[in-house]
Amino acid sequence: MERSIIVETVSRVMIPFIQLFSLYVIIHGASGPGGGFQGGVVFGASFILYIVVFDITSGRKKLPESVNTVLSSLGLFIYAGLGLLCIIFSSGVGQYLNYGFLPFTANFEENRALGIELVEIAIGITVMAIMVSIFFDLAWKEENRKGGEE
Amino acid sequence: MKGLSTIALILISLLCALFIYVAEDIPVFGDPNSPPIKYVRLFSIDADALENQLKRSVIPNNLMDEFEKRGFPRPFRVEKVTGMEGEWNAFVSKEEIHYSREEKYYWIKKKGDKLNIYRYAFVVRWIEKGQEETGTPNMVTYGLADYRGYDTLGETAVIFTAGIAVILLLRRRGKL
Repeated sequence: MERSIIVETVSRVMIPFIQLFSLYVIIHGASGPGGGFQGGVVFGASFILYIVVFDITSGRKKLPESVNTVLSSLGLFIYAGLGLLCIIFSSGVGQYLNYGFLPFTANFEENRALGIELVEIAIGITVMAIMVSIFFDLAWKEENRKGGEE
Repeated sequence: MKGLSTIALILISLLCALFIYVAEDIPVFGDPNSPPIKYVRLFSIDADALENQLKRSVIPNNLMDEFEKRGFPRPFRVEKVTGMEGEWNAFVSKEEIHYSREEKYYWIKKKGDKLNIYRYAFVVRWIEKGQEETGTPNMVTYGLADYRGYDTLGETAVIFTAGIAVILLLRRRGKL
Protein backbone atom coordinates (compact mmCIF):
# COMPACT_ATOMS: atom_id res chain seq x y z
CA MET A 1 0.00 0.00 0.00
CA GLU A 2 1.34 3.38 -0.98
CA ARG A 3 1.82 5.78 1.90
CA SER A 4 1.28 9.51 1.82
CA ILE A 5 3.37 11.52 4.26
CA ILE A 6 0.85 14.36 4.32
CA VAL A 7 -2.09 12.12 5.24
CA GLU A 8 0.00 10.33 7.87
CA THR A 9 1.22 13.55 9.50
CA VAL A 10 -2.17 15.24 9.48
CA SER A 11 -3.92 12.26 11.02
CA ARG A 12 -1.13 11.80 13.57
CA VAL A 13 -1.72 15.39 14.69
CA MET A 14 -5.52 15.31 14.46
CA ILE A 15 -6.35 11.97 16.14
CA PRO A 16 -5.73 13.17 19.75
CA PHE A 17 -7.93 16.19 19.12
CA ILE A 18 -10.70 14.04 17.64
CA GLN A 19 -10.57 11.83 20.72
CA LEU A 20 -10.58 14.86 23.01
CA PHE A 21 -13.59 16.22 21.13
CA SER A 22 -15.41 12.90 21.53
CA LEU A 23 -14.81 12.99 25.29
CA TYR A 24 -16.14 16.58 25.31
CA VAL A 25 -19.27 15.43 23.47
CA ILE A 26 -19.87 12.61 25.98
CA ILE A 27 -19.32 14.79 29.06
CA HIS A 28 -21.41 17.64 27.67
CA GLY A 29 -24.34 15.37 26.92
CA ALA A 30 -25.97 16.59 30.13
CA SER A 31 -25.74 20.33 29.49
CA GLY A 32 -25.53 20.79 25.73
CA PRO A 33 -25.96 18.83 22.52
CA GLY A 34 -24.26 15.47 22.56
CA GLY A 35 -24.41 12.22 24.43
CA GLY A 36 -23.06 8.73 24.64
CA PHE A 37 -24.04 7.49 21.19
CA GLN A 38 -22.55 10.44 19.31
CA GLY A 39 -19.38 10.65 21.38
CA GLY A 40 -18.79 6.90 21.13
CA VAL A 41 -19.13 7.00 17.36
CA VAL A 42 -16.65 9.90 17.11
CA PHE A 43 -14.14 8.03 19.28
CA GLY A 44 -14.55 4.89 17.17
CA ALA A 45 -14.12 6.96 14.01
CA SER A 46 -10.78 8.25 15.27
CA PHE A 47 -9.63 4.64 15.65
CA ILE A 48 -10.88 3.79 12.17
CA LEU A 49 -8.95 6.78 10.79
CA TYR A 50 -5.81 5.39 12.42
CA ILE A 51 -6.38 1.96 10.85
CA VAL A 52 -7.12 3.39 7.39
CA VAL A 53 -4.07 5.66 7.35
CA PHE A 54 -1.57 3.36 9.06
CA ASP A 55 -1.41 -0.42 9.09
CA ILE A 56 -4.20 -2.67 10.34
CA THR A 57 -1.76 -4.74 12.44
CA SER A 58 -0.38 -1.66 14.20
CA GLY A 59 -3.97 -0.59 14.78
CA ARG A 60 -4.62 -4.00 16.35
CA LYS A 61 -1.63 -3.45 18.62
CA LYS A 62 -3.12 -0.18 19.88
CA LEU A 63 -6.40 -1.89 20.81
CA PRO A 64 -5.88 -5.66 21.24
CA GLU A 65 -8.70 -8.06 20.49
CA SER A 66 -9.19 -9.13 24.13
CA VAL A 67 -9.45 -5.50 25.33
CA ASN A 68 -11.90 -4.73 22.53
CA THR A 69 -14.14 -7.67 23.44
CA VAL A 70 -14.10 -6.74 27.13
CA LEU A 71 -14.85 -3.08 26.41
CA SER A 72 -17.76 -3.89 24.12
CA SER A 73 -19.61 -5.66 26.91
CA LEU A 74 -18.30 -3.43 29.73
CA GLY A 75 -20.56 -0.52 28.82
CA LEU A 76 -23.67 -2.68 28.84
CA PHE A 77 -22.62 -4.18 32.18
CA ILE A 78 -22.13 -0.72 33.72
CA TYR A 79 -25.57 0.34 32.50
CA ALA A 80 -27.40 -2.77 33.66
CA GLY A 81 -25.40 -2.93 36.91
CA LEU A 82 -26.21 0.69 37.72
CA GLY A 83 -29.87 -0.20 37.51
CA LEU A 84 -29.32 -3.15 39.84
CA LEU A 85 -27.37 -0.96 42.31
CA CYS A 86 -30.37 1.37 42.49
CA ILE A 87 -32.48 -1.51 43.81
CA ILE A 88 -29.74 -2.71 46.19
CA PHE A 89 -28.94 0.69 47.74
CA SER A 90 -32.59 1.60 48.22
CA SER A 91 -33.14 -1.89 49.74
CA GLY A 92 -35.95 -2.66 47.34
CA VAL A 93 -37.88 0.60 47.63
CA GLY A 94 -36.72 2.25 44.40
CA GLN A 95 -37.27 0.99 40.90
CA TYR A 96 -34.72 -0.37 38.50
CA LEU A 97 -32.73 2.50 36.88
CA ASN A 98 -34.01 5.13 39.34
CA TYR A 99 -30.64 6.83 39.80
CA GLY A 100 -31.74 8.98 42.71
CA PHE A 101 -31.05 6.20 45.19
CA LEU A 102 -27.35 5.85 44.31
CA PRO A 103 -25.27 7.10 47.25
CA PHE A 104 -23.08 9.67 45.48
CA THR A 105 -24.29 12.76 47.33
CA ALA A 106 -27.00 13.55 49.86
CA ASN A 107 -29.17 15.25 47.25
CA PHE A 108 -31.62 13.08 45.32
CA GLU A 109 -31.57 15.25 42.17
CA GLU A 110 -27.77 15.49 42.14
CA ASN A 111 -27.62 11.70 42.24
CA ARG A 112 -29.92 11.50 39.25
CA ALA A 113 -27.70 13.92 37.31
CA LEU A 114 -24.59 11.87 38.15
CA GLY A 115 -26.39 8.66 37.22
CA ILE A 116 -27.25 10.15 33.82
CA GLU A 117 -23.57 11.08 33.30
CA LEU A 118 -22.42 7.55 34.18
CA VAL A 119 -24.96 6.01 31.83
CA GLU A 120 -23.78 8.27 29.01
CA ILE A 121 -20.18 7.18 29.59
CA ALA A 122 -21.25 3.52 29.58
CA ILE A 123 -23.12 3.96 26.28
CA GLY A 124 -20.04 5.69 24.83
CA ILE A 125 -17.74 2.78 25.78
CA THR A 126 -20.02 0.16 24.20
CA VAL A 127 -20.65 2.11 20.99
CA MET A 128 -16.93 2.85 20.54
CA ALA A 129 -15.84 -0.76 21.08
CA ILE A 130 -18.55 -2.20 18.80
CA MET A 131 -17.74 0.26 15.98
CA VAL A 132 -14.04 -0.62 16.11
CA SER A 133 -14.77 -4.35 16.42
CA ILE A 134 -17.05 -4.40 13.35
CA PHE A 135 -14.51 -2.44 11.33
CA PHE A 136 -11.66 -4.76 12.32
CA ASP A 137 -13.65 -7.85 11.35
CA LEU A 138 -14.55 -6.47 7.92
CA ALA A 139 -11.01 -5.26 7.23
CA TRP A 140 -9.33 -8.52 8.30
CA LYS A 141 -11.54 -10.50 5.96
CA GLU A 142 -10.48 -8.41 2.98
CA GLU A 143 -6.80 -8.85 3.73
CA ASN A 144 -7.16 -12.63 4.05
CA ARG A 145 -8.91 -12.88 0.70
CA LYS A 146 -6.17 -10.86 -0.98
CA GLY A 147 -3.57 -13.20 0.51
CA GLY A 148 -5.43 -16.23 -0.83
CA GLU A 149 -5.65 -14.96 -4.40
CA GLU A 150 -1.97 -14.16 -4.79
CA MET B 1 -8.55 -19.93 30.27
CA LYS B 2 -11.09 -22.14 32.01
CA GLY B 3 -11.44 -19.71 34.91
CA LEU B 4 -11.99 -16.87 32.47
CA SER B 5 -14.76 -18.82 30.73
CA THR B 6 -16.45 -19.45 34.07
CA ILE B 7 -16.33 -15.75 34.97
CA ALA B 8 -17.73 -14.85 31.55
CA LEU B 9 -20.52 -17.42 31.93
CA ILE B 10 -21.45 -16.03 35.37
CA LEU B 11 -21.49 -12.45 34.06
CA ILE B 12 -23.59 -13.40 31.04
CA SER B 13 -26.15 -15.24 33.17
CA LEU B 14 -26.29 -12.21 35.49
CA LEU B 15 -26.97 -9.94 32.51
CA CYS B 16 -29.64 -12.32 31.19
CA ALA B 17 -31.32 -12.38 34.60
CA LEU B 18 -31.28 -8.58 34.71
CA PHE B 19 -32.84 -8.36 31.25
CA ILE B 20 -35.59 -10.79 32.21
CA TYR B 21 -36.24 -8.63 35.28
CA VAL B 22 -36.34 -5.52 33.07
CA ALA B 23 -38.81 -7.14 30.70
CA GLU B 24 -41.06 -7.92 33.67
CA ASP B 25 -40.66 -4.49 35.24
CA ILE B 26 -41.38 -2.26 32.21
CA PRO B 27 -44.60 -0.26 32.78
CA VAL B 28 -47.58 -1.37 30.75
CA PHE B 29 -48.13 0.66 27.61
CA GLY B 30 -50.40 3.58 28.43
CA ASP B 31 -50.04 3.08 32.17
CA PRO B 32 -51.20 6.39 33.73
CA ASN B 33 -48.97 5.84 36.76
CA SER B 34 -45.69 5.41 34.89
CA PRO B 35 -43.24 8.03 36.19
CA PRO B 36 -43.21 10.60 33.37
CA ILE B 37 -46.97 10.68 32.88
CA LYS B 38 -47.89 11.22 36.55
CA TYR B 39 -49.68 14.36 37.62
CA VAL B 40 -47.81 17.41 38.87
CA ARG B 41 -49.03 19.44 41.87
CA LEU B 42 -49.82 23.06 41.00
CA PHE B 43 -51.22 24.72 44.15
CA SER B 44 -53.70 24.20 46.96
CA ILE B 45 -56.69 26.28 48.00
CA ASP B 46 -59.09 26.40 50.95
CA ALA B 47 -62.00 24.04 50.45
CA ASP B 48 -64.74 25.66 52.56
CA ALA B 49 -67.47 26.48 50.03
CA LEU B 50 -65.83 25.17 46.91
CA GLU B 51 -66.51 21.54 47.64
CA ASN B 52 -70.27 21.90 47.48
CA GLN B 53 -70.04 23.66 44.14
CA LEU B 54 -67.74 20.96 42.80
CA LYS B 55 -70.21 18.32 43.98
CA ARG B 56 -72.85 19.98 41.80
CA SER B 57 -70.41 19.87 38.85
CA VAL B 58 -69.95 23.64 38.87
CA ILE B 59 -66.49 25.15 38.69
CA PRO B 60 -66.16 27.78 41.47
CA ASN B 61 -65.22 31.31 40.47
CA ASN B 62 -62.40 31.39 43.03
CA LEU B 63 -60.77 28.46 41.32
CA MET B 64 -61.19 30.06 37.89
CA ASP B 65 -59.46 33.20 39.15
CA GLU B 66 -56.59 31.16 40.57
CA PHE B 67 -56.08 29.41 37.23
CA GLU B 68 -56.23 32.74 35.42
CA LYS B 69 -53.74 34.32 37.82
CA ARG B 70 -51.21 31.59 37.22
CA GLY B 71 -51.60 31.64 33.45
CA PHE B 72 -53.26 28.25 33.07
CA PRO B 73 -56.17 27.59 30.69
CA ARG B 74 -59.69 27.75 32.11
CA PRO B 75 -61.49 24.46 32.63
CA PHE B 76 -65.04 24.34 31.25
CA ARG B 77 -66.35 21.14 32.76
CA VAL B 78 -65.74 19.24 35.97
CA GLU B 79 -66.57 15.62 36.59
CA LYS B 80 -66.28 13.32 39.57
CA VAL B 81 -63.66 10.59 39.34
CA THR B 82 -65.60 7.35 39.21
CA GLY B 83 -65.38 5.37 42.41
CA MET B 84 -63.39 7.99 44.34
CA GLU B 85 -64.66 10.29 47.08
CA GLY B 86 -63.40 13.88 47.00
CA GLU B 87 -61.65 13.71 43.64
CA TRP B 88 -62.59 15.52 40.44
CA ASN B 89 -61.29 15.72 36.89
CA ALA B 90 -61.50 19.10 35.16
CA PHE B 91 -61.56 19.27 31.38
CA VAL B 92 -60.17 21.90 29.03
CA SER B 93 -61.27 22.28 25.44
CA LYS B 94 -58.46 22.45 22.96
CA GLU B 95 -58.40 25.63 20.93
CA GLU B 96 -56.86 24.21 17.79
CA ILE B 97 -59.10 24.36 14.73
CA HIS B 98 -58.75 20.80 13.56
CA TYR B 99 -58.53 19.25 16.98
CA SER B 100 -61.18 20.59 19.29
CA ARG B 101 -61.56 17.51 21.48
CA GLU B 102 -61.72 18.15 25.21
CA GLU B 103 -58.79 17.03 27.29
CA LYS B 104 -58.48 15.76 30.84
CA TYR B 105 -56.32 18.48 32.32
CA TYR B 106 -56.66 19.13 36.04
CA TRP B 107 -57.10 16.73 38.91
CA ILE B 108 -58.65 18.20 42.04
CA LYS B 109 -58.29 16.25 45.26
CA LYS B 110 -59.55 17.05 48.73
CA LYS B 111 -56.98 16.60 51.47
CA GLY B 112 -58.01 17.69 54.95
CA ASP B 113 -59.71 21.07 54.53
CA LYS B 114 -57.64 21.99 51.48
CA LEU B 115 -58.20 21.30 47.81
CA ASN B 116 -55.05 20.27 46.01
CA ILE B 117 -54.93 21.06 42.31
CA TYR B 118 -52.79 18.75 40.21
CA ARG B 119 -52.26 18.78 36.50
CA TYR B 120 -52.20 15.75 34.26
CA ALA B 121 -49.94 16.01 31.28
CA PHE B 122 -46.93 14.40 29.96
CA VAL B 123 -45.53 17.68 28.64
CA VAL B 124 -45.66 19.45 31.99
CA ARG B 125 -43.56 16.87 33.64
CA TRP B 126 -41.10 16.70 30.78
CA ILE B 127 -40.64 20.39 30.09
CA GLU B 128 -41.50 22.22 33.30
CA LYS B 129 -40.47 19.72 35.97
CA GLY B 130 -37.65 17.85 34.26
CA GLN B 131 -34.72 20.01 35.28
CA GLU B 132 -36.02 20.26 38.83
CA GLU B 133 -36.37 16.50 39.13
CA THR B 134 -33.19 15.34 37.45
CA GLY B 135 -30.77 18.23 37.91
CA THR B 136 -29.86 18.12 34.23
CA PRO B 137 -30.52 21.14 31.99
CA ASN B 138 -30.69 19.25 28.68
CA MET B 139 -34.23 18.10 27.95
CA VAL B 140 -33.14 15.47 25.43
CA THR B 141 -30.58 13.91 27.75
CA TYR B 142 -32.83 13.47 30.76
CA GLY B 143 -35.47 12.07 28.45
CA LEU B 144 -33.01 9.64 26.96
CA ALA B 145 -31.21 8.45 30.06
CA ASP B 146 -33.69 8.96 32.88
CA TYR B 147 -37.35 8.94 31.88
CA ARG B 148 -36.74 6.55 29.00
CA GLY B 149 -33.88 4.66 30.62
CA TYR B 150 -35.29 1.25 29.71
CA ASP B 151 -35.49 2.27 26.07
CA THR B 152 -31.86 3.36 25.99
CA LEU B 153 -30.76 0.17 27.73
CA GLY B 154 -32.49 -1.74 24.95
CA GLU B 155 -30.82 0.40 22.28
CA THR B 156 -27.39 -0.27 23.76
CA ALA B 157 -28.22 -3.97 23.83
CA VAL B 158 -29.17 -3.80 20.13
CA ILE B 159 -25.78 -2.26 19.25
CA PHE B 160 -24.02 -4.89 21.35
CA THR B 161 -25.96 -7.66 19.61
CA ALA B 162 -25.02 -6.25 16.20
CA GLY B 163 -21.34 -6.33 17.14
CA ILE B 164 -21.57 -9.90 18.47
CA ALA B 165 -23.37 -11.01 15.28
CA VAL B 166 -20.59 -9.56 13.12
CA ILE B 167 -17.98 -11.31 15.30
CA LEU B 168 -19.80 -14.65 14.92
CA LEU B 169 -20.27 -14.33 11.16
CA LEU B 170 -16.98 -12.83 10.00
CA ARG B 171 -14.34 -13.75 12.56
CA ARG B 172 -13.08 -17.16 11.44
CA ARG B 173 -9.64 -17.32 13.04
CA GLY B 174 -10.21 -19.73 15.89
CA LYS B 175 -9.60 -17.39 18.81
CA LEU B 176 -11.87 -14.75 20.23
